[in-house]
Amino acid sequence: MDFELVFLAVPTLAKGLWLTAILTITSVAIGFNLGLALAVMRLSKNRAMSSFAKGYSTVFRGTPLLVQLFLFYYGLGQLSFVRDNPVLWWVVGDGAHCAVMALALNTAAYTSEILRGGLMSIPAGLVEAAQACGMSQLLRFRRITFPLAIRQALPAYGNELVLVVKGTSLASTITVLEITGHAKRLMSQTYAILEIFAIAGVLYLLINLLLITLVRLLEARLTRYLPR
Amino acid sequence: MLSKGNQNMKLKSLLLATIFSTGLAAAHAAEGELSIGTEGEYPPWSMADAAGNVTGFDADVGNLLCAKLEMKCHFVVQAFDGLIPALKAKRFDIIISGMSITAERKKQINFSVGYAELANMFVVKKDSDLAGVKDIETLLTSLDGRTVGVQAGTTHAHFMEKRASSAVLKTYDTLDQMQIDLASGRVEAAFADSSALQDFLGRPDGKDFQFVDVKVLSTFDPTLGEGIGVGISQENTDLKARIDKALCELVADGSIGKASQTWFKTDISRPCQ
Repeated sequence: MDFELVFLAVPTLAKGLWLTAILTITSVAIGFNLGLALAVMRLSKNRAMSSFAKGYSTVFRGTPLLVQLFLFYYGLGQLSFVRDNPVLWWVVGDGAHCAVMALALNTAAYTSEILRGGLMSIPAGLVEAAQACGMSQLLRFRRITFPLAIRQALPAYGNELVLVVKGTSLASTITVLEITGHAKRLMSQTYAILEIFAIAGVLYLLINLLLITLVRLLEARLTRYLPR
Repeated sequence: MLSKGNQNMKLKSLLLATIFSTGLAAAHAAEGELSIGTEGEYPPWSMADAAGNVTGFDADVGNLLCAKLEMKCHFVVQAFDGLIPALKAKRFDIIISGMSITAERKKQINFSVGYAELANMFVVKKDSDLAGVKDIETLLTSLDGRTVGVQAGTTHAHFMEKRASSAVLKTYDTLDQMQIDLASGRVEAAFADSSALQDFLGRPDGKDFQFVDVKVLSTFDPTLGEGIGVGISQENTDLKARIDKALCELVADGSIGKASQTWFKTDISRPCQ
């Protein structure tokens, strides 16, 4: 280990850490809401809605994230109507925006499956009791179904969050300078591959440790009334 | 059995040929002759015909060099990836085959001074305000804040980081990806060697683009490499000194530039520092 190099690499990679965090937070914020909507659609009695949600989840879970990134960034970028439309180009034209879109659409598919499992685990009796109390559908969802479903789904969702953090590293292939992007650039400047990628790995580990801890705390809070 | 016998025959004749040519090469060197290894299948650098005559830019450089050194020349045609092993096995004395001087190759053999170099250039949209820039300093300062594409790990990437650090650099794994982003407008300029960019300009995607008329050479900044050199065995330090001197003179008097004009329609000779 060359320590002079570590002092050079850590600040540079820390710059990438910030962007990795932003990519994760934005795509999770979009992806969670989209995933929730898809999960509700999937369980609705409307055939068209449920089969759309099913098809969406099949397509996005069945193709690699890297392929999706290349399709959105290089593929859509070649279409002239995308380039001429300022809104679409704002999304596709910029590497970071495009990465957020791909990550959000990808995580939405997995989130929808995780939340679907949570929603299906709600005992029918609870819903019927809420109905008997005269709660509207929206109120029932807010007070009964959603809190119980999220409690059930949280361990699996924590896993998905870790996968999103690791998925952001693929954004480096479409010119985004997050942790891996900076690491690749440093590698070609210094050829110190071992040191640089070890530091990059430690940074990802730190983010994920923090994330896992937060999810555990949330889980403990949500299950505080349950007998152990 | 038959094939094994054949193989043995081949092996024996190969061995004989090696011994024979090694002996020859040594003899040549002693008599003031120089044998030159070249690829022979890389127009317009080096083309060999059926009779073994070599023409092209490499051949011209070789002949000019031999005339300067007052030695007799003789070309040995050999596949490019076998040139360095063959030089180390003393099948010939030097390599002239458009070979770029790289750190990796320097571990194996010595190189003369760089005598030629493909220019590194910028490509921009025809209506860009950079299109008319004529000198390098103005070009580098006006890149401030603009997005420039380069291929990752290349000398071009190192150059941009060092000399135009205020530009927003986008690095790509392949040249193709860089060219797609240039065509789609994600980067305003691309920096690479002129032959790669020439290829892009010739394609439908590249029709709205042009070169900025500034040739960025390694004489301007050494991060861009050391150009193309003559490969010489590491044991032959005396020969290296004589070849360096001769090449510098040949570049200075314009003979290599003239040969370059013949084959490339442009002067790629690289002056000695």
